[in-house]
Amino acid sequence: MAKTRDDQRLELLQGTLDMLILRTLQWGPQHGHGIGQAIRAQSDDLLKVETGSLYPAMHRLEKRGWLKSEWGVSEANQRAKFYQLTAAGKAQLLRERDRWSQLVGAIGRIMNPAGSE
Amino acid sequence: MKPDERELDDEIRGHLAVSVQERIERGDSPEAARLAALREFGYIPAARDSMRRVWYSRWFGLAEALAQDIRVGFRSLLRAKGMAATVVMTLALGIGANAAIFSVVRSVLLSPLVNRDEARLIYIRQSAPGLGADNLTFSVPEIADLKAGVRTITAFGDFSTVDFTLTGLGDARMVKAGVVSGSFFEVMGLRPVLGRLLSTEDDGLRAAGAAVLTHRFWASALDSDPSVIGKTIGLGTSTATVVGVLEPSVPYPADTELIANIVSSPHHLGATMITGRTHRMTELFGRLAPDATLEQARAELGTVYAGMVSAHPGSYSATAGMLLTATPLRDQIARPARTILLLLLAAAGIVFVIACSNVANLILARSVRREGELAVRAALGASAGALRRTLLAESLVLCGAGAVLGVLLARPLVSVVAGFAARFSVRALDVTVDTSVLWVGAGLAMVAAIALAYVPRLPSQTQTGNGLVSAGARLTSGTNRRLRVFATMQIALSFVMLAGAGMLVATLLALQTASTGYDMRRVLALDVPAPRVDSSTKTVEFYQEVIRRVGQLPGVDGVAVGSFVPWRDAGSFGPGVSFAFEGYVPAGGEENPRARLRMISPAFFDVVGVPLLAGRAFTDDDRRDREPVVIVSQSVAQRMFPNGEALNRKMWWTDPYFGKPLPRRIVGVVADVDDENVVRGPAFAVYHPFQQMGVAGRVFVRAAGDPYALVAPVRRVVRELSPDQPVERPATLEDVRATILTPERLNAFVISGFAGVALLIAVVGVAGVLAFGVSARTREFGVRLAIGATPRSLLMSVLSEGLAIVAIGIGAGIAGGYACAGIAASYVAGLELPGMLPVVAAAAVLATAAVVASLMPAARASRVDVLQALRSE
Repeated sequence: MAKTRDDQRLELLQGTLDMLILRTLQWGPQHGHGIGQAIRAQSDDLLKVETGSLYPAMHRLEKRGWLKSEWGVSEANQRAKFYQLTAAGKAQLLRERDRWSQLVGAIGRIMNPAGSE
Repeated sequence: MKPDERELDDEIRGHLAVSVQERIERGDSPEAARLAALREFGYIPAARDSMRRVWYSRWFGLAEALAQDIRVGFRSLLRAKGMAATVVMTLALGIGANAAIFSVVRSVLLSPLVNRDEARLIYIRQSAPGLGADNLTFSVPEIADLKAGVRTITAFGDFSTVDFTLTGLGDARMVKAGVVSGSFFEVMGLRPVLGRLLSTEDDGLRAAGAAVLTHRFWASALDSDPSVIGKTIGLGTSTATVVGVLEPSVPYPADTELIANIVSSPHHLGATMITGRTHRMTELFGRLAPDATLEQARAELGTVYAGMVSAHPGSYSATAGMLLTATPLRDQIARPARTILLLLLAAAGIVFVIACSNVANLILARSVRREGELAVRAALGASAGALRRTLLAESLVLCGAGAVLGVLLARPLVSVVAGFAARFSVRALDVTVDTSVLWVGAGLAMVAAIALAYVPRLPSQTQTGNGLVSAGARLTSGTNRRLRVFATMQIALSFVMLAGAGMLVATLLALQTASTGYDMRRVLALDVPAPRVDSSTKTVEFYQEVIRRVGQLPGVDGVAVGSFVPWRDAGSFGPGVSFAFEGYVPAGGEENPRARLRMISPAFFDVVGVPLLAGRAFTDDDRRDREPVVIVSQSVAQRMFPNGEALNRKMWWTDPYFGKPLPRRIVGVVADVDDENVVRGPAFAVYHPFQQMGVAGRVFVRAAGDPYALVAPVRRVVRELSPDQPVERPATLEDVRATILTPERLNAFVISGFAGVALLIAVVGVAGVLAFGVSARTREFGVRLAIGATPRSLLMSVLSEGLAIVAIGIGAGIAGGYACAGIAASYVAGLELPGMLPVVAAAAVLATAAVVASLMPAARASRVDVLQALRSE
């Protein structure tokens, strides 16, 4: 059964992981595991982010100043590093969301031209 | 901000912990939860690495890869111990020699003096190239003129070197001392460590005698005893109070032990000193005005000097071509050591290049052997950069080890080289090992490592297949050519070194075996300075008594006094005194000839073994109240009277120092001896009976047996006569000359040492190239033997290969050597080119060594086992 789920899983589009991380953190500070779980849960298990991609991405975002990190304690009482959006990160999220909507719209118009159905 | 390594690990650990915890809460067993979490996470090092790559630059990764390569290289070198040891030793020699010599060069030639604002200190030198006089020094009237006329130099300091008999500080002895006016220390910018220095208040005839000790003398002879301040000491016939100790500084102009004020030297108070324009015995220092450059000062000095020359034409002979030069004091101090140090640096550089090219050969040979390994790695996808990095890592390990060993080697070498350089410049006495040795060593190792990494060729894409197929070493013609080029280069460079060393040795041998005209072995020369008596009559009586009493000692064949120990006293009487003679009419513009003036006692020529050619020797009757007489050397006699008999003709000194010319009758002619130069030149000398001219100062004893056995008895006899009398520097004429030749001997020795090292490395290099060639061509030799070649022909073919390398190397060495010498000659004055003999000898030595070195690989080639050779692939 697990196998079937894996087969249905979608590949992330290039460049969308950053946006998803920023979006997930809009709800508040979260640690890496939490972010991965949140993306998975909210995509109904269709999107699964590899840890090997998630962490470098978060570090890249932090280096750019869109995230900041802080050591804290998780709900399960484990020491973990919590990431949160900076002001610049929020602005970036808005920009990425706009770009994403344009992209989706454009691709949608090509895939489903008006009147073809 | 930037997470460190541990933080990245912590984050991963935190992630796993949270993940495990969640799974356990969902009902998994802890063990299953842990495994699932790990599985989900994936390959931890990869994640960690990509996280780190976000923060750390590309270089960090490269450095880490290089470190990894270095570990691998280290291990693979451990498997090639012989080759690694050779490389490390060779590099250590090259690096050690260079680091040591560079640190001496730095301290002696480049580092600043301790004097305040030393860059503005200059040394002014008057020379007379026409008379062969390098440094005439200055007379008091000349200094006064310069002081009055020059504005770009704010202050002048003057210093006359004087030998004093020092009493009052232990045994009476001769010391090298300076007599200075009060401005000297201010101009030099030196401070006392104890007491005070001399100032303008110590000037003038009425001042009390005052002396400052140099730090070296105070520390070594007096054990840094502070109570010396205030002591009264005797300096010749005067007394002075010790007022202070000078800070440690380079004792220029002489290896001075104390510095006294003018009043301490009666000579400096005399009319000759004060008014004699040609009575030159003072060295001159200046401090540049704050806004003046050295160039401006030179120009102004030149103008003022030209004025002096035209105002006093009699004192500046035209043939002398007198010149005034100003140089920074630092350069002046280093000047005598400059050429030899640069020569050493060049020699060390050549040895380094030879060492590197030898190492390059070894590495090249090694890389041929491991071509297979490199080809496999290339085939597996290693980039050219990665392969190069492997090679670089290995050469870094080798060169690093070489540098460490080299720096260790450099430490003792520095003191050897400094001791050597101290013969030329007093500055080398203070050379210490500093960190520059380390930097030079590390720098050279880096240069070598990078150069060596680029020597071997990488297997190219088209060649990979080839490399993979054959496992054994295969010599491509390109690699073979490189090996030969390096070997030839080593031969060429060692040839240059050998020829240079040969030249120095040949010169030294010529000097050591040259006939001097003296009886070298049996004559003991001693310094017995004029005693502290108040009249010249008493001085004469003192020396006559010395002659009488020493003559009575057993084992003494003869005693004489003189004014000049051959070679040791060279230069102390200036470049000769002008004279004229009966019937001499100077041609238009011609100047009076010059001759050396010497004072001797009657038995002098007998004692030193110089034959009298005509006339008579002096006798005890040639006293002050009798007719003035002289003996002239053969050259002088011929110069004065080319066609006739010089005996009984008259000559007289025309130098103003002697006042009104006093004709003196020539009573004898002696054979020529050159007591000024070790390279025998023209010997114009006029000898006076010391009873008529005064001052002697040197005693010559002809011994029947061992001359040195007479030192103690002579000293005892003289001390009986005058308890405070120094009797110093006893040496046979042979040893005096040997001491004078010490720098030449050291030069020859050191350069021969370098040449020997170069030869050794080069010969090992040639042998190595041939041996490698033979081992790579085993199969070929096997085939040749199988189809009928004789072992002898194989032996000859390898030998002739070795000889070809040597012949081409020597040819290149001759061509390159002379070309470089031509370039160097325009920078280094007095550079000599080796004559035929050293060149031929060097070539012969190299050729012989190369034949011997080729014999072993050649023999191996001729003994190749046919079957094994053919089966070996």
